[in-house]
Amino acid sequence: MGTTVAVEVFNYRSARAEKARIGTNLTKSWVMVLGVCMVLLLVAGGAFLVIQWPIGWALIGFSVIPAMIVEWKNGELANLAPVKNSTSIDGVLSGDILGLLSHKPTPYEVATIVGQVYGGQFFGARFGIGTGFLQEIASQEAKDIDGLWQEARTIAQQTGSSTLSAVVLLVALVRRHPKYEILLAHLQLSNEDLLQGIAWHNHLKDLIIQQAIPKRTGGVARDWSFGWIPTLSRFGHNLSQGIGNHGLLSVKLEAHEEALEQLIATLGAKGSRNAVLVGPTGVGKTEIIHALAEKLLDAAAAVPADLKFRQIFLLDASALIAAAPGRGELETLIMHLLGEAYSAKNIIICLDNAQLFFEEGLGSVDLSNVLLPILEAGRLRIILTMDEQRYLQISGRNAQLTNALSRINVAAASRAETIKVMQDQLITFEFRHDVTYMYQALSEAYRLSERYIHDLAMPGRALKLLEAAAGYAEGGLVTAHSVQQAIEKTMDVKVGVASGDAEREKLLNLETLIHARMINQTRAVAVVSDALRRARAGVRNQNRPIGTFLFLGPTGVGKTELAKALAEVYFGGEDRIIRLDMNEYVSSDDVSRLIADGADDSTSLTARVMKQPFSVILLDEIEKAHPNVLTTFLQLLDEGILRDVKNREVSFRDAIIIATSNAGADRIREQIERGLDIEQFEGQFIDELISTNQFRPEFLNRFDEIVMFRPLKKDELIQVVDLMLADVNKTLALQKVSVKVSDEAKVYLVDSGYDPRLGARPMRRVVQRAVENTVAKQMLSGTVEPGSTIEISLEEVQKILGNKLAADAISADLTLQR
Amino acid sequence: MVYYSVSRYNEDMFLAGIMSWWYGNGLRLRLGMIGGRIARTNDYFSIGLLASTLFSPYRQISAGKVSGPLSLQLRAFVDRLISRLIGAVVRTFMIVFGVVAISLQAIGGAVVVFFWLLIPLFPVIGLLLAVIGWVPPWL
Repeated sequence: MGTTVAVEVFNYRSARAEKARIGTNLTKSWVMVLGVCMVLLLVAGGAFLVIQWPIGWALIGFSVIPAMIVEWKNGELANLAPVKNSTSIDGVLSGDILGLLSHKPTPYEVATIVGQVYGGQFFGARFGIGTGFLQEIASQEAKDIDGLWQEARTIAQQTGSSTLSAVVLLVALVRRHPKYEILLAHLQLSNEDLLQGIAWHNHLKDLIIQQAIPKRTGGVARDWSFGWIPTLSRFGHNLSQGIGNHGLLSVKLEAHEEALEQLIATLGAKGSRNAVLVGPTGVGKTEIIHALAEKLLDAAAAVPADLKFRQIFLLDASALIAAAPGRGELETLIMHLLGEAYSAKNIIICLDNAQLFFEEGLGSVDLSNVLLPILEAGRLRIILTMDEQRYLQISGRNAQLTNALSRINVAAASRAETIKVMQDQLITFEFRHDVTYMYQALSEAYRLSERYIHDLAMPGRALKLLEAAAGYAEGGLVTAHSVQQAIEKTMDVKVGVASGDAEREKLLNLETLIHARMINQTRAVAVVSDALRRARAGVRNQNRPIGTFLFLGPTGVGKTELAKALAEVYFGGEDRIIRLDMNEYVSSDDVSRLIADGADDSTSLTARVMKQPFSVILLDEIEKAHPNVLTTFLQLLDEGILRDVKNREVSFRDAIIIATSNAGADRIREQIERGLDIEQFEGQFIDELISTNQFRPEFLNRFDEIVMFRPLKKDELIQVVDLMLADVNKTLALQKVSVKVSDEAKVYLVDSGYDPRLGARPMRRVVQRAVENTVAKQMLSGTVEPGSTIEISLEEVQKILGNKLAADAISADLTLQR
Repeated sequence: MVYYSVSRYNEDMFLAGIMSWWYGNGLRLRLGMIGGRIARTNDYFSIGLLASTLFSPYRQISAGKVSGPLSLQLRAFVDRLISRLIGAVVRTFMIVFGVVAISLQAIGGAVVVFFWLLIPLFPVIGLLLAVIGWVPPWL
């Protein structure tokens, strides 16, 4: 490493080291043997005394020795306390490691021991860092051990670990490797993740200790002075009772802690003592209520005496509405419930999803008139929970109601907090699904849920994905790949790096596959293919769309066709295109149509992308859109994010965005006709687009590439005719008939169908009419047998199309339609 | 793969270690356990709470002032009086039970501590009795 390390003292013969070795020697089997010995000595001693042999006293006396050893093992040796302010490393090493160390340990020896004990196995299962890996990276030189102890001490300090446990030593072993960051990157981990792992391990140990400590919850007479609550017990859910019986397994979040303190302050205050927890769904509002219930029941917790041992009853709006469906019944029931709670004097009422009590509609009822006087009087403590939107709606409708409530905002959890919540929830998930989660799965669940799950806030959205991933466990292990599969299957996106041979092959040959259905425009095809390859190799910027392209050029040169080809070849079908004709977005009001809520307008851009994030977004004829619409697209193109009307972030980071424009098409044609190559006038052309105010520079700058499509040459158009004929043959395959057109006829078709203003577009109709009409006539006349090939000559085409004028008429017809 | 087996320990350390723990941290741990058990029993019977609410109504059905005719108020008063009487009886019984339970636990704890202190001497006492050759005649 090149750095000087202080010499750490390791005293193999210290009292603590000796105790550690005794503890390690006393395995479970030995403890069992000692137990049996004790019983045998007691029984034999008793039996001897019965037959009047005094030796029985000695046996009974000696029976306490195995019992004392077992007591010592459980009381001290199983969990050796560290020596305070120890300068010697044996004073702070955890007992399970210390008991196995030799006189002159090496890092390799430590690595092997770490892999044998619980902490090492924890990291092996959760992080994929097993004994083999540790042995590979650990030095076998005894002189390197001081550096390891130093590193371990630093890590213990960073993580607040009281001993140098197996997990601390494991991380120290990894960090002692000169290229540890590269090693960790292979495991999709970072130094920070390892420190999180130590915290996780320590937290689990603390939980086990806490669970063993009996809780003081007020005792048998706690509720005797309070009222009888038969109706509340029937219709409400007593949170305190459940917590009193089983305890609450939860992590204390900073985001929640603040809200909890505010809640206690509000409920413990004089005057109005009602609070409303406002935050998006999934943020943990109900969890805060549970935490409050637990805190109030804890005799040792610092809460106002007036609140101590109060019980929280959760009233579920939908259950109450279902229980009292008749007119006026619900009001009566609510009044009865609240009256009972008031009389009992030790109840706090919680109305979960309280918006259902304040709005008219299916499955809800407006109880403002009933609840408002009670809330204003402030004699009964009531907590409401609702989301921000509903709170604002109710506030707008009935300001008196919200004035009677103290608002407490519940913020979404941060990444670190969400990971902690997930770690706690894993205990339940693992038991429920019989799986083991790796840490990488947690990180991936956070990352992917943040991007793809929009209807919940953190930590709810990450938990939802994490639980879904259990269904994709491999060999009982939930990995980052399981989480990717869960999101890929539920959201129909591709989030992992391309791994299958078929997909890799497809990506490497993307240009060839696209060219199978479109001619030339090689630069456009190349830039789009490169963008996809970057995305699927995992080397693109994850905070932008896969690619953003502006295709410029005259009509009928393949701009839209390329988007369709891409959608079919890679995205799984032409239906993966989300196509917006921008000439429908010509007024500033049209912005609202782009970002409308899916419930109101399922065709809005944000709603469609939420439903299908992995897609090609085609913004056709972008130059026709209103400037405000283009401004809306700026953030989308830059960060891959668009906020919908409900202020939800909709991710476009799995989409390819293709905007097409005919702006300056005549200019392109003119320059090409003058014999210039596109590359020669590209820069000048884009400047002209800006100077003529067709596009603003900040808009054009947002695109990864601006690609100019040039008009097709005659030989290319013949290839286009071939593609069109291939399409016709595909249709005729059902009839077991195929068509072959002579080369002269193809040239004639190109001459007849090509229009410099409309590109290749009219040619398709000309080809269809010429070929399909011929085939139809021949099939009806019975001259075509199944399996035969219809050969179409120049004369036949001329006969069908009549002359060039007829073809022009078709073109003109098409022009009018456009 | 190499596995590390347990190393030898100093046998002298064994005796010193177990005895110093037994009369040091072991004894403290045992006292803590007895204290914790008594605290749990005390919490279960909540004697302090029972005493402070001795004459409070027991599981009251109605609360607050009752307005209305005198007969109704009188009835409410009698109801509450009966409730208070029942409460006082039940709570008194619980206080007595609680005090007895805690006392028994304290005595049991003292016995445990006494034996804890004596246990290391049991082998010596046993050997002495065996040498003396006394056996209880009733056995």
